[in-house]
Amino acid sequence: MKAAAYRPYALLAELTYRCPLHCPYCSNPTQTSPGPELTAEEWDRVIREAAALGVLQMGLSGGEPLARPDLAPIVQSARAAGLYTNLLTSGLGLTAARLAELRAAGLDTLQLSFQSDEPILADEIAGTRSHTLKLAAAKMVRESGLALGLNVVLHRRNIERLPQIIALAEGLGALRLELANVQFYGWAFPNRAALLPTREQALVAREVALAAQARLGGRMDVFYVLPDYYETRPKPCMQGWGRRYITITPTGDVLPCPTAGSLLRDQRENVRTASLAWIWHESESFNRFRGTDWMPDPCRTCPDREKDFGGCRCQAALLTGDPTRTDPVCTLSPDRPLIDRILAETAALALAPAWQYRQNPAAEPVA
Amino acid sequence: MSASDLQARPVLTPHARVQKDPVSGDPVLLYPEGVLMLNATAEAILAQVNGIATIEQILAALAAEFEVTPDELQADVFEYLAELEQRRLLTLQPASGA
Repeated sequence: MKAAAYRPYALLAELTYRCPLHCPYCSNPTQTSPGPELTAEEWDRVIREAAALGVLQMGLSGGEPLARPDLAPIVQSARAAGLYTNLLTSGLGLTAARLAELRAAGLDTLQLSFQSDEPILADEIAGTRSHTLKLAAAKMVRESGLALGLNVVLHRRNIERLPQIIALAEGLGALRLELANVQFYGWAFPNRAALLPTREQALVAREVALAAQARLGGRMDVFYVLPDYYETRPKPCMQGWGRRYITITPTGDVLPCPTAGSLLRDQRENVRTASLAWIWHESESFNRFRGTDWMPDPCRTCPDREKDFGGCRCQAALLTGDPTRTDPVCTLSPDRPLIDRILAETAALALAPAWQYRQNPAAEPVA
Repeated sequence: MSASDLQARPVLTPHARVQKDPVSGDPVLLYPEGVLMLNATAEAILAQVNGIATIEQILAALAAEFEVTPDELQADVFEYLAELEQRRLLTLQPASGA
């Protein structure tokens, strides 16, 4: 199905892969394309094309978007195009002056990442001194009146601190708290033995999150992302391939999601060589997994195929080598034993092994 | 203040934005990580939410617009405003000068 059946509502703009943090769960690709980052002028054109396609929401992300000195003009482009802007940031590099500049440019909201509530652990996870700086950033955002959201990735090393993490978000005056159980893409995938919580940890955390959602309804929106390895049916990843979302990488590759670059490889389209409209509607990369015709069994005849779309293509590719296969999380998948083996290995580990910290891409020309 | 208090003054929270969807021409309400498509009723109610009008005044304006009595609209308007308040998209302030 093409054209009017699919409309993008949100654009994730990865402005750079440079970042001052080294979180071992980062979903950025472990190997990045060389070449210059899109300039603010190029982003202006891309943003206008995205708005014309129907995009209403724009996430400004990375890496660390504050690493771009030209971030304010990019926010301005989004505002001029009528997009609602959300800055997804570690907070490192935020000053009162920078925040004022971004607000003047039209920034609508800011989502701040935290690695934990406890400074020593938080800095250990980030791989650098950062927690104190984040607290200062949160205070600046609240004092400015800009809506503040928090994002905390949950994993084996911090998931038992969930009550304290929720309390931190409340204390900082966050309107929204996203508790994202670690998903295994990018840097997180090789680190999965170190990051995957035990089943017991996952069950306890879910109860804590549900209780917090009930208690905080109307005061703070608590959004909980399940650790899908412990589920029996897969997540409806991105609400379907090429249905609602677009990601654009720092060098202009256009993807259905932030992790699809390694799946698509040479099939990737780029804003420097094609229009966004053509890429969204006509390109093979976006049409490849739309609808249900591409599905093999068991998805092909499964009553849930239009509910979860067979799960995540990137996950199928990472675990089986074949992006068309049913997401192995699904217990109906013949590849489910791959997940069960990982879960068994996790259960057998007394201590999480050391992780590999995220490294910045090798020095590349900046726009 | 609650959404059943006629003297309450609904105020759209600053992080919510009502605008037209350029593709469909329909009104939408945008907020962090969210898009609310607004039907005609929702749009009419929100058009009266200006931070100054009380619920009583909003009901009177809508009654005139739709040629009904305020009583006929009351339940729906209260319900909708309460829903937006629950989603943190709107707050209910005391009437100015109260």
